[in-house]
Amino acid sequence: MAKEIDEALLRSIIKDVISEVGTVETPISFKDDPKTSAAQSSSNAAVATQTRPTANKVDWFKHVGIAKPGFSKDEVVIAVAPAFAEEITRTMIKTPHKDVLRQVIAGIEEEGLKARVVKVYRTSDVSFCAVEGDSLSGSGITVGIQSKGTTIIHQKDQEPLNNLELFPQAPVLTLDTYRAIGKNAAQYAKGMSPTPVPTVNDQMSRVQYQALSALMHIQETKQVVVGKPAEEIEVNFD
Amino acid sequence: MSEVDELVSKILTQIKDDDSSNGSGSNLSTPTSSNGAELGRNDYPLYQKHPEKIKSPTGKPLDDITVKNIASGKVDSKDMRITPDTLRMQGEIAKNAGRPAIQKNFQRAAELTKIPDDRLLEMYNSLRPYRSSKQELLDISSELKNKYNAPVCAGWFEEAADFYEKNKKLKGDN
Amino acid sequence: MKRQKRFEKLEKRPVHLDGFVKRWDDEGLVAMMGKNDPKPSIKIENGVVTELDGKTQDEFDLIDQYIAKYGINLENAEKVMNMDSLKLANMLCDPNVPRSEIVQLTTAMTPAKAEEVISKLNFAEMIMATQKMRPRRTPATQCHITNTLDNPVELAADAAEAARRGFPEQETTTAVARYAPMNAISIMVGSQTGRPGVITQCSVEEADELSLGMRGFTAYAETISVYGTDRVFTDGDDTPWSKGFLASCYASRGLKMRFTSGAGSEVMMGYTEGKSMLYLEARCIFITKASGVQGLQNGGVSCIGIPGAVAGGIREVLGENLLCMMLDIECASGNDQAFSHSDIRRTERLLGQFIAGTDYISSGYAAEENKDNTFAGSNMDVLDYDDYVTMERDLAVNGGIYPIEEDEAIMIRNKAAKAIQAVFESLGLPPITDEEVEAATYASNSDDMPKRDMVQDMKAAQDLMARGITVVDIIKALDEHGFDDVADAVTHLAQQKVCGDYLQTSAIFDGNWNCISAINDTNDYKGPGTGYRVWEDEETWNKIQDVPWALDPKKTDF
Repeated sequence: MAKEIDEALLRSIIKDVISEVGTVETPISFKDDPKTSAAQSSSNAAVATQTRPTANKVDWFKHVGIAKPGFSKDEVVIAVAPAFAEEITRTMIKTPHKDVLRQVIAGIEEEGLKARVVKVYRTSDVSFCAVEGDSLSGSGITVGIQSKGTTIIHQKDQEPLNNLELFPQAPVLTLDTYRAIGKNAAQYAKGMSPTPVPTVNDQMSRVQYQALSALMHIQETKQVVVGKPAEEIEVNFD
Repeated sequence: MSEVDELVSKILTQIKDDDSSNGSGSNLSTPTSSNGAELGRNDYPLYQKHPEKIKSPTGKPLDDITVKNIASGKVDSKDMRITPDTLRMQGEIAKNAGRPAIQKNFQRAAELTKIPDDRLLEMYNSLRPYRSSKQELLDISSELKNKYNAPVCAGWFEEAADFYEKNKKLKGDN
Repeated sequence: MKRQKRFEKLEKRPVHLDGFVKRWDDEGLVAMMGKNDPKPSIKIENGVVTELDGKTQDEFDLIDQYIAKYGINLENAEKVMNMDSLKLANMLCDPNVPRSEIVQLTTAMTPAKAEEVISKLNFAEMIMATQKMRPRRTPATQCHITNTLDNPVELAADAAEAARRGFPEQETTTAVARYAPMNAISIMVGSQTGRPGVITQCSVEEADELSLGMRGFTAYAETISVYGTDRVFTDGDDTPWSKGFLASCYASRGLKMRFTSGAGSEVMMGYTEGKSMLYLEARCIFITKASGVQGLQNGGVSCIGIPGAVAGGIREVLGENLLCMMLDIECASGNDQAFSHSDIRRTERLLGQFIAGTDYISSGYAAEENKDNTFAGSNMDVLDYDDYVTMERDLAVNGGIYPIEEDEAIMIRNKAAKAIQAVFESLGLPPITDEEVEAATYASNSDDMPKRDMVQDMKAAQDLMARGITVVDIIKALDEHGFDDVADAVTHLAQQKVCGDYLQTSAIFDGNWNCISAINDTNDYKGPGTGYRVWEDEETWNKIQDVPWALDPKKTDF
């Protein structure tokens, strides 16, 4: 499902994990055991020296208290997963979260509706993020987004694992796709039946990125806090 | 009681396996269906071996389910359902072939045949995590027992209510 | 650094596009026998399990509780737990120990004991054990029928062709969830046109899927997922009790079903409790047994990239298939997801199940081009058909797929497209044009199809549910338009649901509606000269050996 982790993040995770720090950037010494360098150049899981990013406060992504249910029929909630924009800052294919949000919001606003961003803590599952969003969304429509980029459009009365539209293959989602997702979500909120956002079906993306996706999701899941309610987020793209 | 069942089924299975491997024609092991004895491997498939035993929920024989009768409206979707009796027979076959857990599943299923589709879906959804309070689960348990005469399934809901309470899967626990 | 030229070339090989990860026990990135896996143990007091794999009753989560209560044959449990795992492993691949005998022991193990036994086997021994432990004597395979546009005409045509090629079970899903009822109807009509006796399913949200079955649009279900940790089970929006109940709901409507699990799902969903893939999968298999569900789809399945990324992962995958069979459960053995960029590695993935034979070697061979596979691609697709059949012919193995002639494919695709056209007309669904029928007859993928109005189709799909359409309406439609044989096949399918024979373990139908299952086609393998051998199954072997592209020495004109 998930694909291309932020490479730096991956490297740092792997490094954390396999407490076996290599020296990728070190030039080859012809005196030493040649096994060290050979292993490095051929290994996908090469290790870098970067340290793990920690929960950074991000100025464009401001927490403004516990999210409350909205009553305005013309709002669509964007419910992001626990590590979004802070512990993790880019999707699997290295699209900055800031750009992703900017496009989804633009898509919603293009339809004349308002977007509200909330961050979910109870779960890292994309469907359940959206379900929590549904309960806050005045229109009952939510776009759920995981840090790796996986996205869903969900509606209040649906079963959690059902959806209006699901975009499970994060590696094929472009900024244009995110904008179109925002636009469609807004149209659902207006009671329309838009044509589903077309996506590329790249059957090899899962193969390429599944392991990386898992590592990224593990990182996201570490931010889950049982029982913690969603927080309202103020975004500022200036 | 269930231990006895299991023992019996085990012995039967072993005898039957011996039969099939020896290729002997012995049919000692096969309880025949004629006088109320349980069905076994040799009664299967029912479609070929005992079509006369199978009825639709409205009592129609299997042979009545034809394109002609469907076209004329003589047979409709209500007739195209499995009955508790048939599930019981398939349960006996499963058990006597060495799979008692499948029989238990079919026992629950037999009880559920009379519950309307929509209500059944609601009941399933209410068993999903964080959907129901303990009381709500117990209420469904009573409904199963009293309205649908489904004691095994009633026990299932009751058991779930206890374990969900202990393991925090009730409404509001998330 | 100055690059070594051979290394540069090697890096460009397709295998380097695959993902690989080093071992990480604490996040479950380990195939089997992880450092946190529990030691096998069981304590039974007054018929109640009070300790299971190192946990006492008060520490049980819902999964432990469920397995302890329903999943283990307690009668033999203490005896088996005291047996040497190596000895049990030996019995598994010893042809002199009959399947019926060993099942009495394997069903009395705990999950950790089962893991330990499997871990003693190397890959070749797993193949030997699988050939003996598969419940059904005759192997088979399953396919996916999908396209990215959810085009109903193409679905019907592909389903008909796949039926002719030998798939006894077909599975669809949707690109857009709301299409579900239309996809389900399309492959049912298509497959019954191709070969009566095929059964079909539509993989969607659990409650929706059941409601399609209740209307008679599907005949079985498979994507009823179970997981090995409590937290992931909850994120899957179920508990063992709700899944067990759902299983009974299916049986109560005369619908066959099996569960789905597989290595890697707990890693993908972020909660492994630090346990290995095989241990967690063992728990899933015992949950299936406990539910009285006849079958399981496992073997990595949609998370195959995770076991595929760790050392020994593909051995683990065959090991989990084998464990499923050891618990006397039908096994649809994976090979259903895009696995590798490397053709060599794709073949490697398939090999164990293919050589040993399983109930369904693939639980979803792409019977469309992989680009149209909305399960995100399979390990093999339609364009691999001739390679696959050649492998069957080379190794004299029944892999469940047979070659067909081009004219036969054209004929049956056309008939299925016309049948679904008729059904759409009678049900008042958006019309299917003759142009679409023609295109579907000759199409290879959805680019070859005229575009339909998807918004109209989706509305119609929802509307047909609202109108209470059932299989009865479909039978009437086929009958009205003169598709007598297809109407008859769909009616037979409805009859079989009343009868319930195919609820038994590993059941499929042949073209004459004979039900073939572990009950009447019990695997009797006991070494050379026994069990299923394709050359003794003359009709099948003739199809495979006489592939259309083999020269006929008697007719060759030089």
